[in-house]
Amino acid sequence: MSTLDFLFNGFAVAFQWQNILFAFVGVLIGTAVGVLPGIGPMSGVALLIPVTATLTSGMPTEAAAASSIILLAGVYYGAMYGGSTTSILLNTPGESSSVVTTLDGYQMAKQGRAGAALSIAAIGSFIAGIVSLIGLVLLAEPLSNVALKFGPAEYFSLMLLGLCAVSGLAGKSMTKALIMTVFGLLLATIGIDAVSGIARFTYDLPILYSGLEFLTIAVGLFALGEVFKTVLERDKEDGAIAKIERILPTKQDLKDSAKPIVRGSLMGFFIGVLPGAGATLASFFSYVAERKFSKHPEKFGKGAIEGVAGPESANNAASGGAMIPLLTLGIPGSGTTAILMGALIMYNIQPGPLLFDDHPEVAWGLIASMFIGNLMLLVLNMPLVKVFAKIIQTPKKYLLPIIIAISFFGVYAVQYTTFDLYLLLACGVLGYFLAKNDYPLAPLVLALVLGPMIENNMRRALTISNGDFSIFVSKPLSLVFILAAVAWLVVPLIMKLKGRNVIINDEE
Amino acid sequence: MSKTFDRFASIAFLLIGLLFVIESRSISQSAYGSSVGPNIFPTALGVILILLSIRLLFETTKYEHGERIKEPVQYVKFLIIFISAIIYAAILEPLGYVISTFLFLLIAFQTMERGKWISTIVIASAFSFGVYYFFAEFLGGSLPGFPQF
Repeated sequence: MSTLDFLFNGFAVAFQWQNILFAFVGVLIGTAVGVLPGIGPMSGVALLIPVTATLTSGMPTEAAAASSIILLAGVYYGAMYGGSTTSILLNTPGESSSVVTTLDGYQMAKQGRAGAALSIAAIGSFIAGIVSLIGLVLLAEPLSNVALKFGPAEYFSLMLLGLCAVSGLAGKSMTKALIMTVFGLLLATIGIDAVSGIARFTYDLPILYSGLEFLTIAVGLFALGEVFKTVLERDKEDGAIAKIERILPTKQDLKDSAKPIVRGSLMGFFIGVLPGAGATLASFFSYVAERKFSKHPEKFGKGAIEGVAGPESANNAASGGAMIPLLTLGIPGSGTTAILMGALIMYNIQPGPLLFDDHPEVAWGLIASMFIGNLMLLVLNMPLVKVFAKIIQTPKKYLLPIIIAISFFGVYAVQYTTFDLYLLLACGVLGYFLAKNDYPLAPLVLALVLGPMIENNMRRALTISNGDFSIFVSKPLSLVFILAAVAWLVVPLIMKLKGRNVIINDEE
Repeated sequence: MSKTFDRFASIAFLLIGLLFVIESRSISQSAYGSSVGPNIFPTALGVILILLSIRLLFETTKYEHGERIKEPVQYVKFLIIFISAIIYAAILEPLGYVISTFLFLLIAFQTMERGKWISTIVIASAFSFGVYYFFAEFLGGSLPGFPQF
């Protein structure tokens, strides 16, 4: 079958009524997650995994996986949409990838052009979503065909590259990021070893035989960590919300932002494909580029619509691009895609080159649903911008305890043990302290997901080579990956030594 | 950046790395025809973690003595919510989901902000009953509903 046939089948999956509903719920919750300051896409997706798991519990595995990944991905790109709302109206970014949107967006709102800024952000995000989807459709097949030729040595090196890329760009201190990565890999070794069947670090506790549940740790670190932070340090009064008058942008606005949207979409997509460099970097680069291309660079920072259109398109395109390494290679490039991958693995569906052959309805259903989801977002966001602006005012005193209760429900409903609830609370405290002191959490989650796969591939490669470690450098592709991995870690160090400022990627 | 926290963390991670290295030694070496057993990966990672922790410890000596901005921290609120969450986890199975969730939400809401008893009771009971009936009755999931006598 050709790509178009697969895409057509994908639409058949995405148009099943429950999947339309799931996509709708996903983008709706995602927008809310993006709007609410404090809950980012990562904790949003992590919190919803248990909910989707129960919603889909009656369906056959594959359909259940397709439906829940459709919902979770909707949360992911919906959050990218929603993040702009608070940046523009409140001058507080809802998540890190919308930080640069505050520069010009809030200025526009102060000038009474909040509606135009919001709708340009929505239109830009929509176009970016479509651009990245076309890229995804075009690149998915060829990339997964290449990946099919990979042996265990290549896979090991590629995953190493993914981990190094995320650690090299995450947080302020690379040492801390690497510590989190290694710590995550170590946590992943707890439980029964998949190759030999020997229990490791379990101390004869049956609860540890299956290992630490990834879901519990992710929800604890991100969602509870964030809740604890707000409980401990809140009472920062939010600023006044700017009024929205005219929603539709003027013709001049559209004309000014057409090129930035296209540039932002393309740039965002390619940055998103790179592991480690996510939506935050994409929006930042796009802003810098637009200021360079502009004939009136002095207008930036004073309410230039280009400064909203470019970055907002870029961060949405990047979230689409980030799906490519996840779906085709099975290697997540960011914290949120790592959580999506964990969700797929929970359904016993392994993302990677075989995904397109083994579970086409999951892969293509997801891709098709992203078309529909983006359309829904555009339709939802233009008229409902004022409603979403209201969500910002949800009182925290109700929101925070309910997030704790949802996390408890989610973890217990999937795991059925009180042990996981205590682990959840411990991870919440750990997440709070680690994040507060600049220990990035995304590498830990990524390492926890990739850990078993890295180890198995390493051991398979070493079994093939009779324990000779040179197999990783004697295979040309594997050598390239390892060199690239080393470069990701060494180049920022050299740049730092030269006194250059290194752009880092924030949690997303 | 907090020097004290980073020092403490680096020593903690050092000990964790050490623990994994030592404990890996007791894992059986057998690898069923392969020369790499289940102990290689954790041992190597433990060593890397130890080296990284030493590097972090070394880095903390270079931190500048910056003025630390003290943020107002609401320990009391946090501790009440955290301890009630632990109790919530403990009573979830014996008391059932509905009662324990209701109690937890009631305490947490009131800790966040005193007063408005009616709205807290309404929201807490709506959430605990709503989730239970939607999940256990409507979707057919299993949750311990009410205490079993």
